[in-house]
Amino acid sequence: MSRTETGARKGASPRPKNKLARANDRVLILMALPAVLIYAFFYLYPTINNLRYSLTNWDGFKEAEFIGISNFERMNNDGVFTKTLGNNIEFTLLVVIFQTALSLLFAIFLLKNSRTTTFLRTLYFFPTIISSVSVAMVWQFLYEPNLGPLNVFLNSIGLDFLALNWLGSETVTLRAIAFTQVWFHTGQMMVVYIAGLQQIPAELYEAAEVDGASRWQQFKSVTWPMALPTTAVVMAYTTIQSFRAFDLVFAMTGGGPNNSSSILVTMIYLTAFNEFRFGYAAAQSIFLIIFILALTALQRRILRTKY
Amino acid sequence: MIVSKSAKAFRLLIAGALAASVTVLPISGGFAAGEALGAKCTNEGESTGTFSTSLVCAKNSAGRLVWTKVKLSSSNLGPMSALRAPRGSIEFWHWRAEDKAWFDKIIADFEALNPGVKISQVISNSVDYQATAIQKSRTNKKAALFTTFRGAQFNTAATTDFYADLTNEQFAKRNVIKSMMGAGQYNGKQLGIPYQSLFNNPIYNIEIFKKEGWKLPKKFSEWISYCKTAKAAGYTPMAWMGGFRAQAGQIINSALMNTASTDALLASRVAAIDTGKEAITTAWFKEMAEKYADLRDAGCFPANPTGVTEAAGNALFATGKAPILPTGSFSMGGIVTLEPKMSGNMGITGMNWTEDVNARYTGITNNTFILGINKNAGRTEQKIARAFLSYLLTGPVATYYANSSKQHVTVLDVSYTDVNLRNTSSIMSERLILAPRFLFLNIGVRDALEDALIAIVGGTSVDKALTDGAAVIKTKV
Repeated sequence: MSRTETGARKGASPRPKNKLARANDRVLILMALPAVLIYAFFYLYPTINNLRYSLTNWDGFKEAEFIGISNFERMNNDGVFTKTLGNNIEFTLLVVIFQTALSLLFAIFLLKNSRTTTFLRTLYFFPTIISSVSVAMVWQFLYEPNLGPLNVFLNSIGLDFLALNWLGSETVTLRAIAFTQVWFHTGQMMVVYIAGLQQIPAELYEAAEVDGASRWQQFKSVTWPMALPTTAVVMAYTTIQSFRAFDLVFAMTGGGPNNSSSILVTMIYLTAFNEFRFGYAAAQSIFLIIFILALTALQRRILRTKY
Repeated sequence: MIVSKSAKAFRLLIAGALAASVTVLPISGGFAAGEALGAKCTNEGESTGTFSTSLVCAKNSAGRLVWTKVKLSSSNLGPMSALRAPRGSIEFWHWRAEDKAWFDKIIADFEALNPGVKISQVISNSVDYQATAIQKSRTNKKAALFTTFRGAQFNTAATTDFYADLTNEQFAKRNVIKSMMGAGQYNGKQLGIPYQSLFNNPIYNIEIFKKEGWKLPKKFSEWISYCKTAKAAGYTPMAWMGGFRAQAGQIINSALMNTASTDALLASRVAAIDTGKEAITTAWFKEMAEKYADLRDAGCFPANPTGVTEAAGNALFATGKAPILPTGSFSMGGIVTLEPKMSGNMGITGMNWTEDVNARYTGITNNTFILGINKNAGRTEQKIARAFLSYLLTGPVATYYANSSKQHVTVLDVSYTDVNLRNTSSIMSERLILAPRFLFLNIGVRDALEDALIAIVGGTSVDKALTDGAAVIKTKV
């Protein structure tokens, strides 16, 4: 309520009106205060502190010394950091592409409500409710190269060449974890897609059928364009998920072997809490923030172009 | 086979400890006929055990060898009973989830003796604990009793003024074996009490070795021969778990132990790598790394070694598919849980990576689970922690803990009744070095060089693995 509106009330004297307005302002401020305080304490303060530490050589214990932008320069020459960034990009691409495609596919097949589709939706959604560390343990067991069920099965049907050292090979591990991540979250994205696809008016499909459009043509000309806003949400969410896949990666391989499955969040954790280089870890965090900001900006730009 | 030898091994315990300045193991033992104070004995340095009443064979003033009292603690006084605790509550921070039940029982007994006291265990896995425990607990007034790993974590706690000084505590002088306290000392002060005495040496399946008629390898070429023989017989010679660095890295202790002619030289070499002054491509390290390749080529490791998890490695050993588990005595409890039939069927042996059976060292020991009092905790909380620590260091409590957790401890007057602990006593006749792996204080460097060695086992050439590893290490110093 603005002051003008308050003052315009008939019969109200200016003095009490101002008091009321001030009281309203105070109430509004008080109502917003908890959220502002929580945001400032849990988000702004750590972020600003993080920026401050990124310019120091703090080891988590001793007094931090200001070292300027050395940590950022160091990142540029750090082969492990570069490798990790590459891993993260590969991991994100794999997860975003496959998770989006599979969840859309499942959603299309399970769109109609029936007992079977409801059962299958529940089944596919089930991994989402399991804790990520449990998922990691289960898949670590499945992937075990010598005793694990996956390789035992592949060997038993004569596909020995496909029985790989899933979590022990520098070339395979990241992809194996990406597969687990896709398995873990596809059901969740499938539900988002189902909600989006159910909003598409049935008349559009009816009209397409009248025009003699095949299933594929219906998908290409109706489903896909109408599902684009949902796809944007799914892709944005999946991107964020893949940057936050710390628990899965850490529990399955700890970033190994030889940093081949290390992603930015696991590297930041290890730099800080394993190597006690908090200053450098803070600089890596700043990089991660900027990287995600840039990615988000890019996504928004593409989104604006499309719609 | 090994059990029968262990009695003799007990007696050589103190001699080995004093002569080689290595850790003495706490062994209980009654006196045999003739082992009486002042009676004649034949082997100088022989001991009757690690009880406060134990005797050692030593020369008397007339130059004759006689049984004399041995002083294992820092004090002339015998072990003391536990201190009383004021009312209040504290947290006991550690990483051994497998010991929770035993500590629950010990805590319950302590609480019964000290009404109004409440102790809760705060347990995280070893990796998390190493990484975050000090930061999390340093401002926690309740986190009064605290454990650290030997090496980097203890050093961090010591250099950041985390531990209360226990130097003048009577229980630290009277109840524990002095020679095992080094890992808890810093700048001449006793900041922590290492509670466990571990042996980071391969465990072997006694039954398989007996059945196959194999002898325990005593030098590197014999290890190579063993691997070839065991592999030919259809076994996985060593259940090495390359997918879990913490355990895969245990054999680096044995690999390192005889790489230098003196302990000081070894320490300086490790420090040079740790601080980036020397690369792991240096000759001595490369020579050691090449032996990993030799073991690999002899078929010592499982198929797909870099992907073998801890659970899979333990399973290989527990099911008898692998006759050797190259980790340490601390794995035995888990193996028995996995396969109860393995109880009493496990021995331990040193892994000599040289051709000299008389090499300086033939085995590894480690004193860890360093108990200390958080200086930042409240005053009452520190008093409770001090009392509980003194309680843990009494013979009966340590006996219960040792036999339940299947760990040797550093406390006097402990009776080892567990068959697995008795079977592992054979290692005590070896010349033991304090695990050199923990000389690396920069965890990032240690991880990188262990990754390089794991890569070698995985099939990477020594030169490439070490060059790659050296590049990673450059980013860690």
